[in-house]
Amino acid sequence: MLMYTLKRLLQGVVTVWFIATATFFAMHAVPGNPLTNEKAVSPKIWAELQKRYGLDKPLLEQYGLYIKNMASGDFGVSYTQQNRQVNDIITEHFKVSATLGILAVVFAAFGGILWGALTAMYRNRAPDIVIVFLVILGISVPGFVFAAFGQLSLVKVNDWLGFTLFPVAGWGTVQHMIVPSMVLGLGTMAFLTRLMRSSMLEIVNSDFVRTARSKGLPMTRIFRKHELRNAILPVITVLGPSIAAITTGGFVVELVFAIPGLGRYFVQAVQQLDYTVIMGTTVFYGAFLVFMVIAVDLLYGMVDPRVRLE
Amino acid sequence: MSAPPATLSAEAAPARPPLLEVADLRVEFDTYGGTVQAVRGVSFSLERGKTLAIVGESGCGKSVTVQSIMGLIPMPPGRITRGIAKIDGQDMLRDQRIDGKDIRGRLVGMIFQDPMTSLNPTMTIGDQIAETLQVHAGHSHRRAFARAVELIDMTRIPEAAKRARQYPFEFSGGMLQRSMIAMSLACEPSVLIADEPTTALDVTIQAQILDLMADLQRDNGMAIVLITHDLGVVARMADDVLVMYAGEVVEHGGVDDVFYRSAHPYTLGLKAAMPSNRTDAAQELTPIDGSPPDLFAPPEGCGYFARCPHAMRACEATHPPAFAIAGGHDARCWLHHADCDRDAAQVYRR
Repeated sequence: MLMYTLKRLLQGVVTVWFIATATFFAMHAVPGNPLTNEKAVSPKIWAELQKRYGLDKPLLEQYGLYIKNMASGDFGVSYTQQNRQVNDIITEHFKVSATLGILAVVFAAFGGILWGALTAMYRNRAPDIVIVFLVILGISVPGFVFAAFGQLSLVKVNDWLGFTLFPVAGWGTVQHMIVPSMVLGLGTMAFLTRLMRSSMLEIVNSDFVRTARSKGLPMTRIFRKHELRNAILPVITVLGPSIAAITTGGFVVELVFAIPGLGRYFVQAVQQLDYTVIMGTTVFYGAFLVFMVIAVDLLYGMVDPRVRLE
Repeated sequence: MSAPPATLSAEAAPARPPLLEVADLRVEFDTYGGTVQAVRGVSFSLERGKTLAIVGESGCGKSVTVQSIMGLIPMPPGRITRGIAKIDGQDMLRDQRIDGKDIRGRLVGMIFQDPMTSLNPTMTIGDQIAETLQVHAGHSHRRAFARAVELIDMTRIPEAAKRARQYPFEFSGGMLQRSMIAMSLACEPSVLIADEPTTALDVTIQAQILDLMADLQRDNGMAIVLITHDLGVVARMADDVLVMYAGEVVEHGGVDDVFYRSAHPYTLGLKAAMPSNRTDAAQELTPIDGSPPDLFAPPEGCGYFARCPHAMRACEATHPPAFAIAGGHDARCWLHHADCDRDAAQVYRR
């Protein structure tokens, strides 16, 4: 198990390096550079600026320098925001994005498992039909539509109540977090519900559940000990990729709900070709996702003894 | 719609009611194609310490019979439309006791055909055995687990304590079936229902599992209902045999009666279709031609009519009752009617 974990971590590091390299060259392939936004300057000053930022060096040398700095944990200084270290931007705003993302994943996973199990239990009856309809809606409607609707309904609810139950936008308190994370997790929850439903239907008719019934176990125990644990295996499998889907979806939700997450900086940086911020945010997000996927794989081993490795 | 066969009372009247008693059990399934009458009036009884074998080809209702008395058929689409199933005098069907903890796992233990898929893959063997004891006997987990180790040891699995902490995927098929037996016997049930317990296992393991069951039966005096389509297994294990065809009991009797004095053409057909060790031409396998009747609309007369070499006009039109051949031996065939003068040499007559 330890060897396996180490191996996976090493693979993760290689993946992150690959992400950094690909991003670096893709970014430099875009015409212009961070300084093109500046007012027209004389060629001499322009050359001076280029030299000062190291942009006059050959690309490979710039790359080498960047990787060296990155390895020592230094993502550099932003080109567009004065005196701002990329490290500061990440530490300040990433925890907001991460909180939002993790809440959304938790919401999606628990919701998906709960609704999926419920629909399987009520197969082809009213609760199943209603939930499956909502699930199709949840999968096919894009996140930004839910975000807009979520915000609009918050306005209506607060209006009707006469006080602010859940703030419409912003960040800071628990009330701020609930609605955006639900909106963010909705699509994934719908997808996981479907998965859980089919998995549960298969398990309910399996031989070992029949054995459990022949042992005279109470329904609740059969559900808890025999059905649920086996049915959630496929859900855990897709949880890793789901985290990726949720985190990338986070940019939109952060924008709509005015949440000071990393997503805004990411988008801004790409628009302004802010090399260091693009690199910093991409590599950081990439690393986060890669290691979340590894964590999910290790979790899988804990739930299913058959994939536990020595 | 005939009365239950005479056998129920034919045997020397026991001092107390039989341990397991099933009378006129009828089970139907609603499907897209219509209603399947899977079990059509099955009756049998079983004494303590005895083994009853239920034989018949696939789809004849053997498994449905025992699964419905255990309450294991899915309802819906399944439906028990009629019948009584009593264990130790308690009605299993009428009092809805099936879902209670009194019967399943406690009075009746059950083992299934495919041990590879019949155990929960994410739970240790020991925990799965202990679970029954926790639920029925109210043992703590620690105590139930200790007992589980003893039970595993009893089924002759070496290193029981270590094995109890392993998962099903770490066991071989034969060991899994032993564990299933340990699990079904955890609460010392008076009846063990074994639904084709050896079908998925290879021949040497089959023999070991059957020996184990016979030994345990001798030790604790439980009754066994053994479902199989292997006549070799029947000859080895059974005291009584129930031959089923198309959802009905066609012949019932002691194992020697059914084997050596077969009174129903279907039983003869089964015997002729049984492989033997002899290689001479006389021992060629003789399959039963045709296929069982459509149970969506069971025939008016005898279900075996279309395949029977001795079929008569009466067989097509009128459903045969169970004729008593001797004490405790009866067959559902018109050949045994007093007015029948048909010569069917192989069929044992009174």
